[in-house]
This record gives sequence, structure tokens and C-alpha cells, in this order.
Amino acid sequence: MLRKIVLVMGVFAIAALGLSLVSAQDTMGSSVMVPPDGEIVIGVAAALSGEGLAPLGEDIVRGAQLANITRPTVKIGDVEFAVTLDPQDDTCAAEGGQAVANRYVSDERVVAVVGPMCSSACRAAGPIFDAAGYTSISPSCTAPDLTDGTFASFNRVVPTDAFQGVVDAEFVFNTLGLTRIATIHDGSPYGEGLVTVMAEAFIELGGEVVFQDAVNVGDTDFRALLDRVADADPELVFFVGFIAEGSRLASQRFDAGLDEVAFMGADGIFSPDFISTAGDAAEGVYVSSPTPSSEIYDAFVAAYVEEFGVEEPSGPYHANAADAYNVILNAIEAVGTVDDNGDLVIDRAALNEAIRATSDYEGLIGTITCEENGECASAAITIYQVVDGAFVLASETMQGE
Amino acid sequence: MTLLEIRDIHTYYGKIHALKGISVTVDEGEIVTLIGGNGAGKTTTLNTISGITPAAEGQVILNGEDITSTRPHEIVMRGVVQSPEGRKVFTRLTVTENLEMGAFARSDVAGIKRDMDYVFDRFPRLLERRTQLGGTLSGGEQQMLAIGRALMGKPRILLLDEPSMGLAPMLVKQIFEVITYLNTENHTTILLVEQNARMALSIANRAYVLQSGAITHADSAEALQHDESIIEAYLGGH
Amino acid sequence: MTDSQSHDASPQPGTVDMITTSLLKNTLYNPLRLAGGLLIFLLVYVAVTNIASGNYTLEAFVRQSITGLAQGGIYALIALGYTLVYGILLMINFAHGEVFMAGAYVGFFAINAMEQSGMLADHTFLALLITLMVGVVASVTIALLLERIAYRPLRGAPRLVPLITAIGASITLQQLFLRLFGPDPRVYPRVNLYILPGIFKDLECAEVSGAQVCKGLDLIDGLYRVDVLGMNLRIRPVFFLVAFFAIVLMIALWFFVQRTKTGKAMRAVAEDKNAAALMGINVDRVIATTFVLGAALAGAGAVLFALYNQQVTPFMGFVPGIKAFTAAVLGGIGNIPGAMLGGFFLGIVESTGPALLGISSQLKDVIAFGLLVLILIFRPTGIFGEVLAEKKA
Ligand SMILES: Nc1ncnc2c1ncn2[C@@H]1O[C@H](COP(=O)(O)OP(=O)(O)O)[C@@H](O)[C@H]1O
Ligand SMILES: [Mg+2]
Repeated sequence: MLRKIVLVMGVFAIAALGLSLVSAQDTMGSSVMVPPDGEIVIGVAAALSGEGLAPLGEDIVRGAQLANITRPTVKIGDVEFAVTLDPQDDTCAAEGGQAVANRYVSDERVVAVVGPMCSSACRAAGPIFDAAGYTSISPSCTAPDLTDGTFASFNRVVPTDAFQGVVDAEFVFNTLGLTRIATIHDGSPYGEGLVTVMAEAFIELGGEVVFQDAVNVGDTDFRALLDRVADADPELVFFVGFIAEGSRLASQRFDAGLDEVAFMGADGIFSPDFISTAGDAAEGVYVSSPTPSSEIYDAFVAAYVEEFGVEEPSGPYHANAADAYNVILNAIEAVGTVDDNGDLVIDRAALNEAIRATSDYEGLIGTITCEENGECASAAITIYQVVDGAFVLASETMQGE
Repeated sequence: MTLLEIRDIHTYYGKIHALKGISVTVDEGEIVTLIGGNGAGKTTTLNTISGITPAAEGQVILNGEDITSTRPHEIVMRGVVQSPEGRKVFTRLTVTENLEMGAFARSDVAGIKRDMDYVFDRFPRLLERRTQLGGTLSGGEQQMLAIGRALMGKPRILLLDEPSMGLAPMLVKQIFEVITYLNTENHTTILLVEQNARMALSIANRAYVLQSGAITHADSAEALQHDESIIEAYLGGH
Repeated sequence: MTDSQSHDASPQPGTVDMITTSLLKNTLYNPLRLAGGLLIFLLVYVAVTNIASGNYTLEAFVRQSITGLAQGGIYALIALGYTLVYGILLMINFAHGEVFMAGAYVGFFAINAMEQSGMLADHTFLALLITLMVGVVASVTIALLLERIAYRPLRGAPRLVPLITAIGASITLQQLFLRLFGPDPRVYPRVNLYILPGIFKDLECAEVSGAQVCKGLDLIDGLYRVDVLGMNLRIRPVFFLVAFFAIVLMIALWFFVQRTKTGKAMRAVAEDKNAAALMGINVDRVIATTFVLGAALAGAGAVLFALYNQQVTPFMGFVPGIKAFTAAVLGGIGNIPGAMLGGFFLGIVESTGPALLGISSQLKDVIAFGLLVLILIFRPTGIFGEVLAEKKA
């Protein structure tokens, strides 16, 4: 029996090796060909399963879908090609990012990818997209180092945490006037990255970080940790992670006697699901999030609500996803050519260059201009507070340079 | 009157063909013995009757009713009770609990009590050790417990698999006395599997000789005791 | 510890001295044990330093132990299921965490419906009892289906096969609930169950039409500040309720297994299935009963867990399942009191450990599994496993 199992596993291993060789040889510096009656496929990688993650991922898919409904075709000269989306689950984790990236690069019809959603997944997908000559635009991967030049294929239409962390620190220190904070993250590159930037900025402002720790994703009881937080006597708990852990921390903090201590999170918990899950414990919680700041944004939200039959968007990144979609389509229109057979030909390398050459595009999140490193978003962060079960503005939107 | 009949049964362990068409009948009130060397298929025969290793072909018929594919616990409920080879006393249950397990399929509280008193009466050693764990008993005590436990199931036919195995001669004699007593006084029908052919033949009415999964001789115990080939092969020569 | 002593000029045999020497020798000569011993020494050193320097107070220890007690009670209730099934089938039912999840999840639908209808507010105790029953029935149903569909057909197979099947069943159940109900957490309503107003005269008081009315101790949602021996504690009665439940159910289970006919049959089947069948015991039914018992405990634990943690999701069983399995092994798998003590031990160590050692709470799992390894180095059969092994020998 054991021998059989080992045999089967061996076969799988060889198959996997073969596949990876095939995908490695793939299309380096190649181009995509779309026949006249074919469709342009755009991947959308976001977390579609997973406790407290699916609402955020769904929001991204919906943003892209809505953009696709509004702009369903690409026009090259006077030939139109339909665009279709291929949403896949990136599970908001490195393994998932790797899996979706491998899936997309093995499907030559995929022209570009909106996503992945989480910095962990983006980091894992980067080398795979690079090797295949693909291009991607993440609506939500905010870890600062993703744009340090490591990944040729990585672009984003969301401000880096390097900016958000500073805004958060300034808000706590200057606006709230608090000087003692405890920080907790969920061990993800996103959580750890943002917490680190925020803590550094906070100390620079003259504040004190009295306690720092992290939680494991999937754990359900954080009371002992919160008890340690209470012992350190902070004025505010700053948590960066996602809804599941965030709502548990928010609820369980009362058991540790942190009733009087403010609680602040970031875009990972900026979702109505956070409020419904944490219930009363969500009241008063501060959340910072990249903010769409355009005239056209309100109309987009109205269309979203109408199209998907929900009261409000289920996460913060719908506008970023729609902008990512549109930036990709603009780039396709810029570099796509129609050959003699009527086929649309898109050179992958040229497509990535065209994305990075985007300049002054009026998107939902504001004016989008990409830099050489793939950084495309204008930095705008707003801080909200939960009041009577809804997010209300707690600060003016902070604009970066 | 025939109580138990097995007709041309074939039993396999995977690909091993352990029983190759065996037929045995046991009449009400008889002691029938099944003798044969190691690996002949004696235990398999009993386990096929008990439904532990069901026959692939052939039938097991109890009192005219086909029980070939009846489940083991239901076979016990119909009065076919086996005391397995190697005793298989529950080592982590006490003596009393072992006996209670023997009566598992019964619900007549008074009857169970009476039978337990009877077993303790027959085997006073068990009474002395009734709160001790089965695993702490000596070999002979364990065999008494195994037989006592089988009696608790109120057998119409008792299947005994090598009850003398590993016991001192004194104890063997005692065990065989008990078997005879059960047959004569309680009128319990007995199918006895033994390697100790001499002893088995001395108390049985009829006997079957099993070799490599097939029956080679079937006769009265008396006749087989005087059969040259049997004496040669199973009774240790002259 | 016989030959090593014989040429040893140690004092009279059997003295504490001699035992210590032999233990020391065993430890020194076995590299694994040596490493384990050094690690324990290091841990104790760090802990003592932390306490001595005043970084860790008795108050913190008591506070954290109380939350650990509740978590440990949950682990214990789940661990009993692992241990029961292992005891009888020598099989690790890795889908047991999902059996737990199913109880909490289906219990949600019951309590939610009763909250909507107002029954939860009007007849709180009855509503909780119904929720508990629904949770238990759900867990039991899932466990029975598992046993019937996934495990029974494999009973004769080598041990690796049902193990892998169990892991597959675990994932299947998670995905099934995910597809059926979606990934978003379901949130149990907050429940106030007031008890003993006669004893807790000054709790939960409110002005009702001019008169002061006190409702007593809020058993589920209550949180009380209590000063004991100069320690400022925050007590949630529900934590003690969980621990109490776990102990009572463990004792009930122990009596069941020791005293009832079915319990004895379970022990008989655990020892020898064929011999048990020859006694007229329906082995399949006894095995199914074992699954039912384990699942009932898990289902009850799940509802309790959800009552104070609120959120339930398709994945909620995974981590507690693994921890409870650890607890069962810690206590000596197959051993009922061992599983319970293992659960409490693990719960308390997990919640006090990080602060005691002054390390990140993220490492509490490392502490839990590290502890498992340490204990298995010194007692390969778990804390209580030895007793069984001796009896067998
Ligand atoms: N569980 C088993 N698996 C495979 N073969 C078995 C098993 N039990 C018995 N056998 C084989 O079946 C044959 C008959 O065995 P058995 O009935 O135990 O013989 P006996 O009781 O006469 O000594 C032997 O060849 C034995 O090796
Ligand atoms: Mg035999």
C-alpha cells in the first residue's frame, strides 16, 4: 500500500516538474494572438474563499466586472474585440498566489492580470509572471518593497503602505493626541509591513510603542495576548490584518479590560463584514484606507450597488480593481495591432511598458500616473471611524506627493 | 436430528483457499470433534460457522435455516456460541465483566444471574478472582473463563477451539471433564476442535479429520480411534 | 534501570537517590533526552528570570490561566472524541475538528432563528438547551455519516489508508460547508442568562419603574471585575461553565465506559473485535456508538465555544482540532482522563506560556507542539499512557 502511495506521489512530482518546465519555456518575450471572433482574457486574482477574506476579494472581482460591463470591448482601429474576465482564488496567501500565477501563465489566452489581492500572493506570483513575460496590476498589494524593482511584471494602482503608515501615525499622534500604542499584526507581509512603517513613524513623532506582537491566522482565542496588551497599558491598539482576526481582537478586547483603549485597523478590515462580525465591539474602531477621490467615484458606487444588489461595497478595493482593468485596456489599445488575418496581436513586453507609461489617466481613485517601478496610484488615505454600525469620516483625506 | 450442517463450504483469506469444500453435520446432543494438524483449517471452519470469515461458497445451516451470511452477533443470538482459539479473554475487563460480555446478547436479567452463579459454581477459582482483570489470570483460569463466558451465551451448540492448548495435563483432564459434563448434564451440543486427538476422540461421538482444507476421514470416534492411518498421523504412533 | 545499577555502589535499592541517578544517567546518555533536558532547563531559567524581574506577576498568571481554562475545556471536549475513536479503532479521526465545526455551525441556525422569534430573550435557558441539542445532533449526524461512508469500508485496510481518508474527509467537510453557507462568519447573538439572583444580589441591577431590580449573575455574557487576594481579576462566568462542563462530561463518559453494558462492550471491541463479535456484540454498532459519543461531546463543546466566541466559520474546527489531538496525545491517547487533563494542560500552557517566557504570542503554537515533543521524549506514551502499557505487559 505504502509503495503504491509513494508511486502515485512520484508520478505527480514528475508531472509537476514537467508542467513547470513547460511553463518556464513559455512565451518569454512573446505575444498574445486573439482571433477576430475571440475574446481578450483578463485574469482577476483575489481571495474568493477564506474566512473574512472573501468579502474583500469579491469586492475586487465586482469592481473589475463592473468596469468590464461599462467597457466590454477593446477597439483597435475600427475592429472591436470583446474582453472577458477570468477570476481565480489567490487565497490571500503565498501558495495561492503561486497557484493562480501558474494557472494564468499556463493559459496563453490570458493577456494580463488584475491582482493578486494580498502582498503575500503578489510576492509569490511576481517571479512566475516575470518568467512568463506577463504583466499584472494589483488593486490592493501595498507592501512597500513590491515596487523596489524586483518584479518587472508587478504594477499597482494602490498607494504603498510606506505612505499609509505615516498617515496612520500622524492621525493617532496629532489628531487623537495619543502617545502610547500597542501594535499587532497577523504575520502577513501586508500586516507586518504596515505595522512596521506605522510604528517607526509614530516613534519619530515622539510617541511610544509599548507593546508589539503578532497573531496566527486561524486562531480563535486572543484573550491571553490581549491580557498582555492590557498590562502594557496603551492608549490605542493598532492592528493590521484581515477581518477574521480583526473582529475577534475587537470583540475579545473587552474580556481583557481594554474597554477604554482605542482600537485602530487598516484596509484589511475596511468592510461592512467587519462591522457585522464584530457587532457592538466594532463601535468606535478607527480604520485607515486608501481612498478613491474622484468626481466619478460616487456614480461608480451607485452602479455597483445596483448591479450587485448590495447595500454597499463589501471591501475597499472595487475602484482600484476597475482602474486596473481600465489601465490594462488602455495599454492594449496602445500597443495592440491587427494583422492580415484580422487577428489581434499584443506583445507582452510592450504591454507592460505601455502600462508603466500610463500618464494622467483620470481613474476612479484619482489621477493615475505610473512610474518606472510600477507604482501607479496617487497616494490618498482617509481614516474612518465606526459610528452606529457604519464607517464615517474621521479625518480629511491625506494626499501624498 | 441435525442441528448444524455445513455443506460444501469454501473459504478464502484473500487468495489463500483455506477451506476447499467441507461438509460436516452435528446432531442435537452430540459431541463432534474436528481433528487435524496445524494449519489444516479447523479454526477457519469454526470461524466460517460463526460468520467471522464467511464462506465464499456453500452453506451453513442451523436447524434448517441458512445462516451462511448472517452477521456474527446474530449467529450468537441464535445459539451458536464459540470459545475461540487462544481463549481471547478480554485482558482489560474483570472476570465478572468478561462473563457479562458472554451474555451480551441476552436481556433476561434473572437468567443471566442464574447462569453466572452456575459458572462460578462450576469454576470456583473464577469466583475467587471475579474482580481481577482477565489479563492477570493464569492460562488454566483463562480457559475456564473462556468456557464460562461462552456458557453465558446460552449455547444450543458450543464451538470449542482447542480448549486444551498450552495447558498442563492435569488441567487438560479437568477441561475435558467439564466438556463431557456440559454435554451429558446440560445437553449442550458440542463441536470440538482439537490437536489433542487422543483426548478428543475419547469423549466424542463422531469425528472428522481435516487436512489442508479438506476432510479426509469421517466416522464414529470409536472407529477412528482404531484406524491405523489415524493412529499413525494423529495419535503419535502405537 | 536494573543493570546500570548492579555494578553501581549506590545506597540501598529503591531510594530516591538511586532513582534520581538512573534518571540522570538515562538523560545524559540519550542525546534526544539530553537536548530535551537542556531545553527544559532553559525554559525554566527564562521563566524564573521573568518572574524574578517582576515582568510576570502572579496576577497575570491567574488571569491568563482563567482564559486558558476555558480554551482547555474546549480542547478537552474535542480531545475525548479523538481518544475514544483511537482507543477502539487505533485510528486518528482527523475530521473530528470538522465534526466540532458542524455542531457550532448548525447550532447557529437554531439560535439565530430563536433570536429572531424572540424565544431566546423570553426563554433563554430553554433556547440554549435547544441550541445545544441541535449542535449535538448535527455533530453526531456528521460523525455517523463519516463512519459509515468513509471509515467502515476501510476497516480491514492498513492503518495509513483510513488516516489519509480522514484528512480527505476533513477537507471535504470544510469545503462542503464553505460551498453551502459561504466563507463569511456567522455570528452567534450575545446571550444573557441570569442565574441565582438570591446569591448575587448586587449584580446586573437596573432601575425598573422606580424600583431597583437585580437579575443575578449573567452566566454567558457577563464580565465581572473581582478582587481576590489583592489581584484584580476579570471573571467571565462562561469560562468556568465551559471548564465545569468538560469535567462533568468527562466523568459521565468515564462512568459510561466503565459501568454500562455498552461501555464494557466498547472496551471489549477495543481489545479484540472478533472475540467481541463472538460474544454477540454488534461490533459495527459499538463503533458507531463510539463515534456518536465523541461527536456529542464535540458538538456540546462547539456550541459553548460559539456562545462566548460568537463567530463560526467552515474553518473554525481546524486549529482546535489539531490542538485537541495534541492534547489527546499529551494525555496518552486512548486514555479518557488523560485526554481531559491534556486539554486543560495545553489550554493553560498556551495562554500563560508566551507571557511567562516573554515571547511573541505567535509562538504559542510552537510552545504547544514543542511541549508535545518534549513530553514524548520523556514519556513516549503520553502523561497517562504508561499506566496502560504496564497493564498490557
Ligand atoms: N488471517 C489469515 N490470513 C491468511 N491466512 C490465514 C489466516 N488465518 C489462517 N490462515 C491460513 O488458513 C489455513 C488454515 O488455518 P487455520 O484455520 O487457522 O488452521 P488450524 O486452526 O487448523 O490450525 C492456514 O494455511 C493458515 O495459514
Ligand atoms: Mg486453529
